[in-house]
Amino acid sequence: MTEKEFICVVCPNGCPIKVRYEEGNSPKLISVEGARCPRGKSWVKQEIENPMRTFSSSVIVSGGDFLEVSVRLTKPVPLAKIFEVVAEIKKIRLSAPLEIGDVVLSNPAGTETEVIVTRNVPLNAK
Amino acid sequence: MKYRFNVLIIGGGVVGNAIARELSRFRMTVALLEKESDVGMETSCRNSGVLHSGINYEAGTLRAKLSVSGNAMMDKLCSELKVKIKRIGKLTTAIDENDLPGLKRLMEQGTANRVPDLVILNNHEMQKIQPGIEGIAAIWSPTSAVISPYGLTIALAENAHANGVEYFLKSEVLTVKKDESGKFTVTTSNGEAFSADILINAAGLSSCRISGLAGVNEGNNGESLKIWPCRGEYFVLDNRLDGTLKTLVYPVPGAKDAGLGIHLTPTVDGNILIGPSAEYIPEETPEDYRVTAPVLEDLRREAHKLLPDIKMSDFIRNFAGNRPKLTPPAEGGNADFIIEETKSLNGFINLIGIESPGLTSAPAIAEKVRDIVSKHIPLEEKEKFLAECSGFAGHFSDLSKEEQERLIKLEPEYGEIICRCEKITKKEVRDAIENSLGARTLASIKYRARNGMGRCQGGFCTPRIVRILRDEYGFTPEDYVLREAGSNLFTGNVMKGKD
Amino acid sequence: MIREKHDLVIIGGGPAGLAAAAAAKETGCNDILLIERDRILGGILNQCIHDGFGVHAFNEALSGPEYADRFIQKIRGLSIQVMDKTIVLDLSKDKVLCVSRMGEIKEIKAKAVVLAMGCRERTRGALAIPGHRPAGVYTAGTVQNLVNLENIMPGKHVVILGSGDIGLIMARRLTLEGAKVEAVFEVLPYSSGLQRNIQQCLEDYGIPLHLSTTVIDIYGPKGRLEGVTVAQVDDERKPVKGTERFVSCDTLLLSVGLIPENELTREAGIVMCDVTQGADVDDRCMTKLPGVFACGNVLHVHDLVDFVSMEAERAGKSAALYVAGKLAISGKEIPVRPGKNVRYVVPQRIKQGDEVSLAFRVTSPMRDRIIEVCDGGSVLMSRKEARMHPAEMVWVDMGKLDIGKIDSLEVRVR
Repeated sequence: MTEKEFICVVCPNGCPIKVRYEEGNSPKLISVEGARCPRGKSWVKQEIENPMRTFSSSVIVSGGDFLEVSVRLTKPVPLAKIFEVVAEIKKIRLSAPLEIGDVVLSNPAGTETEVIVTRNVPLNAK
Repeated sequence: MKYRFNVLIIGGGVVGNAIARELSRFRMTVALLEKESDVGMETSCRNSGVLHSGINYEAGTLRAKLSVSGNAMMDKLCSELKVKIKRIGKLTTAIDENDLPGLKRLMEQGTANRVPDLVILNNHEMQKIQPGIEGIAAIWSPTSAVISPYGLTIALAENAHANGVEYFLKSEVLTVKKDESGKFTVTTSNGEAFSADILINAAGLSSCRISGLAGVNEGNNGESLKIWPCRGEYFVLDNRLDGTLKTLVYPVPGAKDAGLGIHLTPTVDGNILIGPSAEYIPEETPEDYRVTAPVLEDLRREAHKLLPDIKMSDFIRNFAGNRPKLTPPAEGGNADFIIEETKSLNGFINLIGIESPGLTSAPAIAEKVRDIVSKHIPLEEKEKFLAECSGFAGHFSDLSKEEQERLIKLEPEYGEIICRCEKITKKEVRDAIENSLGARTLASIKYRARNGMGRCQGGFCTPRIVRILRDEYGFTPEDYVLREAGSNLFTGNVMKGKD
Repeated sequence: MIREKHDLVIIGGGPAGLAAAAAAKETGCNDILLIERDRILGGILNQCIHDGFGVHAFNEALSGPEYADRFIQKIRGLSIQVMDKTIVLDLSKDKVLCVSRMGEIKEIKAKAVVLAMGCRERTRGALAIPGHRPAGVYTAGTVQNLVNLENIMPGKHVVILGSGDIGLIMARRLTLEGAKVEAVFEVLPYSSGLQRNIQQCLEDYGIPLHLSTTVIDIYGPKGRLEGVTVAQVDDERKPVKGTERFVSCDTLLLSVGLIPENELTREAGIVMCDVTQGADVDDRCMTKLPGVFACGNVLHVHDLVDFVSMEAERAGKSAALYVAGKLAISGKEIPVRPGKNVRYVVPQRIKQGDEVSLAFRVTSPMRDRIIEVCDGGSVLMSRKEARMHPAEMVWVDMGKLDIGKIDSLEVRVR
């Protein structure tokens, strides 16, 4: 059984929350102390049992004003699957022109998210 | 590959290059071997950049004679090579009565050395030159000046090259032999061999190693040929302090001081240097250029004492240089230059122990070496010697707005700024990249164009330089090298293109 | 020399400059020139590909380029003139700018100027870390630029000095791109980054954060970094003997502070504030040089771009009013001072008193405190705050203030 202290990020209060949980492949929350609202409690439960994350990455582009285009996830994915998702993103090759919001990958590694372009990449004039 | 030259110069510092340029006036084939990726990478780019007047050296020594005559040659040389020089003079200061005997001695020495226009000033007169200066008296030497030591070295090299001297960079000398015909054969680290009638050893910190390879372990007067590297660390201060120091201010040196003491030096580009320290380091590692915590603390303390208004953010960089001293730690002080054709090996010219005032003396040393060479090779002046370099001294940002406007119309790239802190233009960066010696490291660009030498230390210009080298010169990530082989900046791409 | 005239010139096309330009146009100024030195607008946001931008402004968690694009589209829609790839070489007291670009150097005379030049990073040289000076030592922002815009990996085995957000973000970025980030070292006894980033950039990846520890030596005798020596520090930030250890790495990232880029400001003789390192301004973002305004990171280093935009909108609006002759220049001014537990307050003066917003930072992390804004003995406003941290700028809206009835303001935390 492990103890850990979090600082909740749901609202600016930043309540310090102490949790006790069982480690292992499927961590289980045992007790929560310090959350001032139910949102904090459910956030910390998610954090222990199945933390979800968004992240940004980049994909190589040909024929554009930039060598690479930045992308991000539209929905959080399980932390445990991040490197799998990154690997799928890295397989992609894109060509200009690209616009913010273009979907370049859907449901990578069986997750529910989409991967979208976050920078406009016009065609290289040369 | 075997090369054949009349004269081979080993060592591409300011002295080796001054010799190369001088010899390039005459009909003879000359080559220069330099072990680093560019000229001037060791001692020549790591000093205060001061041209000394000559008062500090014992009368009758080479240091005294060559510094005085070298100093006198600098205006013409800098004008020809388009190198910026500022004759700001020096106040060698006696803080209190205890310094007065030393001051008197220096004045006598300077007079004996025929240093021009020396005069002793009282504090009132000192204040007129440098307001706020402390001290009861000072020697004013108007011929003292500041210059860019790497700028001069590079200009000498590129002019020598334009006049026919062949340059071999990244070529470390491995063996030196003399064959029966009397010619020298030299082999280098990249598997090349050179044959020459005359060999000039201007290898600075490595000069005794080279001399040893040639079998010469003693000077003509029996001196033991061993270099004792003595490190000097510096802080570079922000050029917002430009103008604080109107002149060089040095303390009266002690007899056993290994250097000239920690002081403030205004540079020709508007920075202030604080240093150098003086610390002997192990002879096995003459190129250990680390900066150390205790010395940095000393330098900081001195800086705060000498410049009460200084801020933490004014300290922008550190560097270190190693003096190639002939005097061991127990002795301290300085030995005279050794510049001689060795008795034991005809045609082998040794230059050993050229520490300060080596920069000042360089053009005079070159003439002395030329005279030695003339005993073997008749000096026939070339008809077409290109004495003058094109362009302007200093940087584009030094020019008047009218001149800038005019030049931008001819060369649009003078309008695009690459280094924001020092206002260095793309044209200057391009000229630096395309230097005639073929040196393509980031340091080579920096020493020529001065980008990256400002307060942001390359934060702004680095991505721009990276882009230029990639888009306009085809650099891949592995091609970016800082200075020496192995100092790669990057390990590769984030992502590769088409597989 | 070519001389141009504009009513309003804005120096910098990053988030501050963009928001100021849009606000100025919307306030009725039609002759605006936005000068940007890069080939694209957006400033530092272009390399900040992580999300978290716009939570306050748009109620969305956007990446930097997306946030910038909202404003770029806006100024395009407003037909605001942009001069890109252009650097301002100097700014005079008379609001004459000398600018330089490919093929051209010219002077621009402005009625009003908005300074939005952003900031630069503190360097290794400024920290004077002993040791060699090999390849492989970078500031975090430079690596962010190279990795996110130029497809270049600086190294494989990374140590980060400084737990500011840039360092934390890059710890994650480099890890996701296949590098091994050994650790983050922080000289203070607390991290200067957002808690969210400590969790999501370090803890998620098992990257340790060592507080009260700093790099005391850089080792790279053969030209490329081979490792650093770290040591714990005492209360005076001096290394503690016996705690030194060597950490192998080929890359050292420095995330050790941002410095507002005020070269032009200083050269124009504009009065600065020592603590913020930015200009001394009033509640209209005007500096002590009438007609010159400052906003964004060049005024004081921000942590949320949403507040940069807010501040810049105020500067742009004020600059437009100034051009139209509708901004009071003389008259009573009340000083604003930082009190107990407050490191600085911006603005440093109140002149107008309409919609006053005070931005400040606390001196150390604190919990369950009360913010008070006082005029001498009387408390004009107080607010409870559960959590405050030096890394998180705090805003206090004072609404309308009657300048006539106030002598001075002090912001303190008890």
